Amino acid sequence: MDRRRVNGPPGGTAPPCYASTLSGKTHPSPKRTRGANEIRKIFLKTGLTPSASGSAYFELETPPTNYSNSLTNRTSALKLTCTVHGPRPLPRSAPFSPQLLLSTRVKFAPFAARQRRSYIPDSGERDLAAHLETALRGVLIGERWPKSGVDIIVTVLEGEEDRPWDALAAGNQNGRTGGWGMMSILSGCITVASAAITDAGIDCVDVVIGGVAAIVRQPAAPPQLVLDPCPSDHEEVIAACVVGYLQSRDEVTETWAKGNVTASSDGKGTTPMGFNALVDQAVEAAVAARRVLVEAIRESTEAKIQSSQAKLPDKLTSV
Amino acid sequence: MSDRKGLQMEFSYVRCRVAETLPLELAPGSPAKRLRAAGNSQSFGPIPGRTKFALQIQHPPFLHNGNQNNSIHHRTTPPTFPAHTFAKLAPPTYLTAHLTSKGVPIRPSGRSPTQFRTPTCHAGSLTHAHGSAVVRCGDTAGVCGVRGEILRVEDVADYRPKMAEEEERVDTEMHSFQNVRREKREDSEEMARLGLLVPNLELATGCSPTHLPGGPPSTLAQTLSQRILTLLHTSNLLSVHDLRIWFRPPASAPICRGQEHEVMREEEEEIVKAEVKAFWVLYIDILFISLDGNPFDAACFALLAALCNTRLPHAWYDADRELVLCSDDPAESKQLHLYDMPVPLSFGVFEGDEEAKGKKWILADMDGFEEGLCRENVTIVVGEEKRVVRIEKDGGGNVGGRDMRRLVELAVQRRREWVLMLRDGPP
Repeated sequence: MDRRRVNGPPGGTAPPCYASTLSGKTHPSPKRTRGANEIRKIFLKTGLTPSASGSAYFELETPPTNYSNSLTNRTSALKLTCTVHGPRPLPRSAPFSPQLLLSTRVKFAPFAARQRRSYIPDSGERDLAAHLETALRGVLIGERWPKSGVDIIVTVLEGEEDRPWDALAAGNQNGRTGGWGMMSILSGCITVASAAITDAGIDCVDVVIGGVAAIVRQPAAPPQLVLDPCPSDHEEVIAACVVGYLQSRDEVTETWAKGNVTASSDGKGTTPMGFNALVDQAVEAAVAARRVLVEAIRESTEAKIQSSQAKLPDKLTSV
Repeated sequence: MSDRKGLQMEFSYVRCRVAETLPLELAPGSPAKRLRAAGNSQSFGPIPGRTKFALQIQHPPFLHNGNQNNSIHHRTTPPTFPAHTFAKLAPPTYLTAHLTSKGVPIRPSGRSPTQFRTPTCHAGSLTHAHGSAVVRCGDTAGVCGVRGEILRVEDVADYRPKMAEEEERVDTEMHSFQNVRREKREDSEEMARLGLLVPNLELATGCSPTHLPGGPPSTLAQTLSQRILTLLHTSNLLSVHDLRIWFRPPASAPICRGQEHEVMREEEEEIVKAEVKAFWVLYIDILFISLDGNPFDAACFALLAALCNTRLPHAWYDADRELVLCSDDPAESKQLHLYDMPVPLSFGVFEGDEEAKGKKWILADMDGFEEGLCRENVTIVVGEEKRVVRIEKDGGGNVGGRDMRRLVELAVQRRREWVLMLRDGPP
C-alpha cells in the first residue's frame, strides 16, 4: 500500500463485468481495412511542454468503427507524450562522465489500458525504457556534452488493447495474442522521443524512427506479413518485430522480435517469411513513418526561426 | 583605459554566467546583485515581452583606480539586456518594474493583476476511461481520466446495510432545510468512509524540470491530491445515491435510478426488500503534461470537465451468478449527476522588491515565474449562489477582509465563465 497517494477502498475493487461477455454473445471483431503494406496515419507535434527543453506528442489514427455499437468494443489509438530535460550538468556527487548520460523512462497512465494501472513502475515499463535507451544511445552524439545528463520521459496516455473482452472475462490472461500491443508502443516511443530530442536541439547523427511488422494469420488462410499491425485486428499474431532505424546511414539501432518465426513458413517455400523478411518489413514501416517526423520537425523549426527573427531587433538596439 | 576594459570584462562575465546556468542565483555581493534597473525605456512603454530595461553596472571597488569621473561616461551609454535575461537576473525587480509602469499595472504575461487565464478543454478523448478531459490554461496543461470500478459490500469491513424502505423514508420526508443539510452531510460522510472517490494527481510526468520521475510523488503532488480529495468531500459535488448499485428481488427488469420511485409505488403490495449490493468507486487520475503555475485550478477544471463527461454503464446485481453485471449498451449508460460546480481561484500576493516601498499587488492565477516570487497564497472556492465552499490561505497577512470580499467577487465571476464553458462546451 502506497501511503503517499490516495488509495481506493481497502477491500479492493473490480473493473466492470459486462453481461454480454458472459452470455457468449460476442460482437464481430474488427478487421484490418488497410492494405498489408500500409501504415496507420500518424499525428506528431513538437513543443507541447514549454517548461521542458524539448517535447512531442504522438497519436495514431483511430481505426474506423464499422461494427456494432457497444462499450466493450470501443477501439483505442496509441497516444504518447514525451518530454526531454537537459542536457544539464550532472550533480556534484556524480562521478565524471566523458559523454552525455542518457536516462529513459516509460510510464503508463492509470487510464491507459482496460485494467487500471498502478503508479508504481512495473517490469513491462522498465522493459520498454531499456529498449528505448538502446535505440537512442547510438544516435546522440554524446561526446559533445561531457559531465552532463539528459532525461527522456515518455507517458503513455492510451495504449492499444490486444485482447478481446471475452478472453479477459474468461480469465484467459495470457491468451494467444498476449503482449503484442507493447511492440507498437515501443515503436511509437522511439519516434516520439526522436522528435522531442530534435525539438530540444540535441545533436544526433540522424533521426531514429520506430517501425513494426508482424506475421499474422486469419483462420483458414496462409500466414501474411503486414506492416504496423493493430493486434485487435488480427485473429492470430505469430511473430512481430520492432526496429529503430536510421535511414541516412541505413543502420538499425534496436531490434526486438517476439514469437515463433519458423512456424510461419508455409512449407512450400513460395513466400519467404523468415526473420530477415520480418526485419526488412519493419524497416519499410520505419521509412514510411519518417516522412511524418521530418515534416513535423520542419514545421516546428520554421516556427522557431520566425519567432527568433521577430525577437532579433530587441537584442541589438541599445537605449 | 583600464577602466573601460574592466567594464567590458564584467559585462562579458555576466553574459557568460547567464548563458551557462539559468536561473542565476542572486547571492549577496555577486556582480549580478549590483545591477540596478534604471527603469524601462520611455519610448517603448510596458509592452510585455518587448520591454527593454537598461541596466547600470556599478563597478566593483577594485576597479575604481582613483578617477571616479570616468564611470559617468559609461553611465550615459548603459548596456541593455533583452527582457527575458533581465527576468532571470533580477526577478523581483523585473516584476516590480512591470507592475509600477506608467498607466495601468501589467504583468509580464500581458495580463492585468486580477486577470485570469481562460482555460480550453477537450472532453472524451480517452477510450478506456468512463470520462476524460484534456485541459490547458496558458502553459499549464493536464489530462484527467475518471474510471468507475465496483466495490462489493462484502468487501467493506463494517458495512451497515441500508434498506430501500429507509431510503424511501428519507426521500419522502419533509424536505426542511436542516434535513437537507443533514442528509448531505451524512452522504459525504458515507462516501468518505467507504472511500468511493479516489483522486490522484501526478506531476512526475516530466511536466517541469523540478518534478522528474523516479522516487515517491513530490510534496506538491501529495498536497494537491489531498486538497482535491477534501474539496470533493466538502463541496457535495457528487452524491452517494448515484453510486449505489441496488438489488431488487423481482430482478426481471433492471431498474434505472430515475424510474425507481414509480416502480416502487407499483409494487407496493409486494414486500420489496431491495438492498444495496455494491458501489461504484470513481478513480480520478490527473496527469500534468505541462506545468506553468497554478496546478490546483487547472486540476480542478480538468476534474470538473471529466466528471461532466463521465457516463457510467448501467449496473445491476445478478442473484444467480452472485455478480454485479454491467450493460454494454451505450444508450443505457447514465450521465453522472453533478450537484454543484465548485470553482477555485488562486491568488498570490507580491510584495515587490526593496524599492517598492511596502506596496503589494494581488496577482490572480499566477504563472510559474510569479509563483516563485509570492509567499502569500490564497485559494477561494465558490459554489452555487455565491456560496463560499472553502478558503485556503497561507504565507502571510497582507490580504484583509476587504480584499477577500473583492476576491470572492472575482471568483464568482470566474465561476460564471467556467460553468458556461463546462455546460455548453467551448464558445
